[in-house]
Amino acid sequence: MVMAKDDIGQIAHLMRRAGFGATRAELEKLAEVGFENLIDELLDDTRSDQIEDDLVSRYHSDHTAGMGMGGMTANWLFRMVNSQHPLEEKVALFWHGVFATGYAKSAQGRVLMDQHKMFREHGLGNFRTLLIELSRDPSMILWLDNHDNRKGSINENYGRELLELFSMGVGNYSEDDIKACAQAFTGWTIGNAEYMAIRANNDSLWPYGRLNLNFEYNPDDHDSREITFLGETGNFGGEDIIDIICRQEATGRFLARQIYSFFVADEPPISQWAYTPPRDSDAIEMLMEAYFSSGYDIRFVLKTLFKSDFFRSSKSRYAKVKSPAELVAGVLKLTGEFKVPHPKLQAAAATMGIMGQVLGNPPTVEGWHEGIEWVETGSLVERINFSSDRFSDIAKPGVREMIDSLENKLGDATSPQEIVQGCLDQMGAIEVSEETRTILVEHAAEFENEERDGKFAEILRMVSATPEFQRG
Amino acid sequence: MTTKEFVTKSDFLVYECTLGAAGMTDKGFFFPVDTAIGKAGKIYVVSRSHEANGPGIRITAMSYHHDYYGAFASVGEGDGQFTWPTSITLDSEGQVYVSDEYNQNISIFDSEGNFLRKWGHEGSSKGQFDGPAGMSFDRKEILYVSDHRNHRVQKYSKNGDYLASFGSYGDGNGQLNLPWGITVNERRGVYVADWRNNRIQRFTLEGEFVATYGKYGDGDGELNRPSSVAVDGDGYMFIADWGNERVQVLDPEGEFVLSLRGEATLSPWGEEFLGSNPDERRARSEADLDSVVNLRSQTPHQISSHIEKYFWSPISIKLDEDEKIYVTERNRHRLQVYRKNSTLG
Repeated sequence: MVMAKDDIGQIAHLMRRAGFGATRAELEKLAEVGFENLIDELLDDTRSDQIEDDLVSRYHSDHTAGMGMGGMTANWLFRMVNSQHPLEEKVALFWHGVFATGYAKSAQGRVLMDQHKMFREHGLGNFRTLLIELSRDPSMILWLDNHDNRKGSINENYGRELLELFSMGVGNYSEDDIKACAQAFTGWTIGNAEYMAIRANNDSLWPYGRLNLNFEYNPDDHDSREITFLGETGNFGGEDIIDIICRQEATGRFLARQIYSFFVADEPPISQWAYTPPRDSDAIEMLMEAYFSSGYDIRFVLKTLFKSDFFRSSKSRYAKVKSPAELVAGVLKLTGEFKVPHPKLQAAAATMGIMGQVLGNPPTVEGWHEGIEWVETGSLVERINFSSDRFSDIAKPGVREMIDSLENKLGDATSPQEIVQGCLDQMGAIEVSEETRTILVEHAAEFENEERDGKFAEILRMVSATPEFQRG
Repeated sequence: MTTKEFVTKSDFLVYECTLGAAGMTDKGFFFPVDTAIGKAGKIYVVSRSHEANGPGIRITAMSYHHDYYGAFASVGEGDGQFTWPTSITLDSEGQVYVSDEYNQNISIFDSEGNFLRKWGHEGSSKGQFDGPAGMSFDRKEILYVSDHRNHRVQKYSKNGDYLASFGSYGDGNGQLNLPWGITVNERRGVYVADWRNNRIQRFTLEGEFVATYGKYGDGDGELNRPSSVAVDGDGYMFIADWGNERVQVLDPEGEFVLSLRGEATLSPWGEEFLGSNPDERRARSEADLDSVVNLRSQTPHQISSHIEKYFWSPISIKLDEDEKIYVTERNRHRLQVYRKNSTLG
């Protein structure tokens, strides 16, 4: 069955947002599934990632031990490129941006890998469960000092950020609510807190490598006195606080805007939300309704989003700048060079950092400023160099496959227009503006007398530098 | 006395000591993957490190008594260099052989660590490699190499001349799936850790199938991705049950004898670090490192990431002349040593 061009474009749009893009061959298979069915498949909670962890661990020493950040980021990149459950990986990346937790306080990759695994397991589930897991997460406890949040000596860091950045947004609670929230989480700490904090502070890998961290609840250190939080009074513990947070309208609105910004179209940084209205208020209302009507079910919120008119609208396509993680994973998925473990994987993962995003090490607890802020002058050069270098190498299996496919599909067709369209199709059914197309065609014409492999690689390289490819 | 009487660890194996500590330079290992023990007791440990830390790729030489003799080799694809070093063994002259499953070759050093030569090329034809992994010499100085992505064992002279091969891809008797560790026992034959088939296979020295031991699982005698096997003079098998984070001992017929989870203690090299970090030493002495609660997952792997004394990625097992058992732990950067205190059979 031959699919209409628009169907492929819509599938490609979905796979860029619900995953890290797809090859042309994959898109053609997915188009046969159909857009609506594909959404259901992507959200299927029985779907398997089919990552061969045993094989990855056999070759890559640090992908299980997590001594530093390198193994952690390389392992995550491998998953982004190869997971057969791409939405699970994309959702984990989303929550990593929202609940931004850094390496500095724990000084080990292993505990962060466990947090990212938790995002995979709960990131598409119930928001209440996710917030409880987050509050028990050892790397978060260290990151926001909750191990120092003790009975008689409150540390407000986690309580404040739980309200400001993780659930409700500034302007929806008082300073007293922050204090009450923090009090409710006293006693939520980690095992061997002092030793682990000293080890982290010393960046100690002695005597025998990193020691993983675990959550501990210390009832003797919990302040159970009565508190008033968001108008409700009681002897609240952390789970009670999360119950109250989840039913706030502000939480539904904040979460809806976070999800819209990540999966539909870039919103301004969170710090501007209090005085900048969302670009699509109706969409936010629809996602809020889905949040409350489903009992805080993230899977249902995303299903509502992907099946909405606003997501399918042409206005949503290319309305986001790819984050470095999305760009690098998307490029490597097309080049096919890391389908199996390889020593160069870690170096490839390090390029995300050069572009401004070190996974596991966000600049602040607010996470990364996304959208157009990804493409300042220096990082834009890095992005384009990375992409064009990869597609210039016709020995890479994915590039070779695209060139062979172009040879087959184009046959005797040699006009610059046909070659450009063929390359756009191969790179993931990319739709470009007339301005971009004109530039590509002019460039292709300059290479008219080159041999075909080199000519195709040159145009693939040029496509990767277009605004449309750098967006998603 | 029957083997069935030896059902607890104390009947058969006794923990002796822990060797090494984490370190990319000087005294230490960084993701060690294999160990070789010479006749004079000189121990060579090959550290694979990870891709971003080239300096950690090296071979550390030491004694059982924690004397540090230095280190040699470096990262790269040139002479005396490695990308993914995988195993190490010694010939009768004490020369050191190291396989590299990425560089597709075997490098040879003298006992002091001076590079001598290397051989090997990528491919699937006779004499070529696709991931040389485990290695072991027989008494005639024939080197057996598990050529893992070719799913076979190849035999070479010590100069690298191809002699023979056996095994093919599959899960039938005599077939292999990504084999890893290998050991040659002169009287009993060749034992191969048939990694992806979750079993140990035994062959004659000529490569004829003899027996298979173990199947997938986490029960007694069951295996999950075994990476290494050593065999003592009586035919007892000591298996690095890598995916189950334990060591298992099977009797010569393959019957389960015992399982070890690990009981590491602080090595002198580890002591040296703590000696210069009194705050960390004090906090460590007050910490409970033997138990853990509230884990999201109760897999052996997850538990081992928390409990320091347990094996974490036990990847290689070697015996010395006295048949002491050396367990190399990749993720804990150390060796745990056990000895037998009874003779079975």
